[in-house]
Amino acid sequence: MTTAAKAQHRFVPGQPDMWAFVLFEALVFTAYFVVYVVCRTRSLDLFLQSQAHLDLRVGVFHTLVLLASSWFVARCVQAARERSFRAALTNAYLTMLFGFVFLVSKVLEWAAKLDEGFGFTTDEFFSFYYFLTAIHFLHLLIGFVALGIAVHQLWSPARRSQELVETCATYWHTIDFLWVLIFALLYVMR
Amino acid sequence: MSDSAAGTLPEERSGSLLRKVAWHWRYDEKRELWIGWWTLVVFYNLYGLLFFVITRTQPPPQPSLSPAEIAQWFADRHHGLLYGYAIVSIVGGATAVMNATLAYSMRRMSVSRAFAYSYLVIYALATLPGMLIMGVVCSVGAMRPDRDPALMSWLYDFAFLSFEGTMGVFLIGSLVWMAAVLLDENRVFPKWFGYLNLCNALTEVVVAPAWIFQDGVFAWDGEIAWWINMGVFVTYTTVFLTLLRRLILREDFGTGPLPELSQ
Repeated sequence: MTTAAKAQHRFVPGQPDMWAFVLFEALVFTAYFVVYVVCRTRSLDLFLQSQAHLDLRVGVFHTLVLLASSWFVARCVQAARERSFRAALTNAYLTMLFGFVFLVSKVLEWAAKLDEGFGFTTDEFFSFYYFLTAIHFLHLLIGFVALGIAVHQLWSPARRSQELVETCATYWHTIDFLWVLIFALLYVMR
Repeated sequence: MSDSAAGTLPEERSGSLLRKVAWHWRYDEKRELWIGWWTLVVFYNLYGLLFFVITRTQPPPQPSLSPAEIAQWFADRHHGLLYGYAIVSIVGGATAVMNATLAYSMRRMSVSRAFAYSYLVIYALATLPGMLIMGVVCSVGAMRPDRDPALMSWLYDFAFLSFEGTMGVFLIGSLVWMAAVLLDENRVFPKWFGYLNLCNALTEVVVAPAWIFQDGVFAWDGEIAWWINMGVFVTYTTVFLTLLRRLILREDFGTGPLPELSQ
């Protein structure tokens, strides 16, 4: 089977193996979310009181920034498919930029909360807040490695594996998808 | 020269299981690999039996027990802890064979030997806090039940924090294996197993709050720090045992890509 024919027969973008990762991570995070919701149901008043100390506008800003980064990574994949590698690289850099803005903004939010006296052990809500945002932060840091691999592929005509670029983009979308759920649970759900 | 090398390898004996085992023991060129794999299977089953049933140290008890409750915890498990950890101290050395089998998978890959060596060293280190220190400390507690409960509390915390302390080792070990699988061109393992290593590594990070919390989901007995983590670890272990078995079946003792199994 030729490469083009193989591409036509693919069920998902990128390596199917990465989709196994997406599925597994979704299951693990679902387990975290279920535990969160159960704890929240047990101490609803405490969770609502503590949640009021989070700034919804900051959460919305983070969500928009990550959605924008996901949009740029999608444009990167599309440009690479059209063999427009300069445009693909530009979009990969913009994805990184927006990811970096999210990281800095998240650190600033943590610092502000710590200044206000809300730490990891303050109460159960803030334990979950720091835990979920930190584990997501860690996933995002790994996302920069994935974007680095995509840029490395796009940089040289000797490489340019479309499958790898799409695999890295899939990882980045997963981070975005997980953030939207975390945002809904921590900032929005009342 | 062996029979195998001379091309006069006798046919695999049919008949009883004992005869088959005897045949493989004598003629199978993958004998050492199968010994390593069966050691892994037997050890993990024995580990479950010893830690969950005999010593009853897993699932872990609450970190927030009072000194009197901790003394009672040791008293309730007196014989289980002593007999169980006596067996652990006997079979603990099997980890050398297990680690060698795991490292073999990386040596069969097209990647640098540094991966296999790093993995060997780091998992040899994990045996100490995760199994032997915990076993010795729990046995010390069980050996003299009339000891001051304050000292029993000290032993209790030491034992379980020692066990938790292996998580960073598993974290790095999983990342080493992940990198090796993803870089390998010999198709020793599927790429999704590399990503599964990343999942496992990330759940090891989640154990870290157990050092801070004595109650709740992040404590060492908590839903997040223990139960979810253990669920991922059991899945991960089942997967890598299955894939290692396939690796041994596919092994051709060459240096290039591993052949696929014929249907």
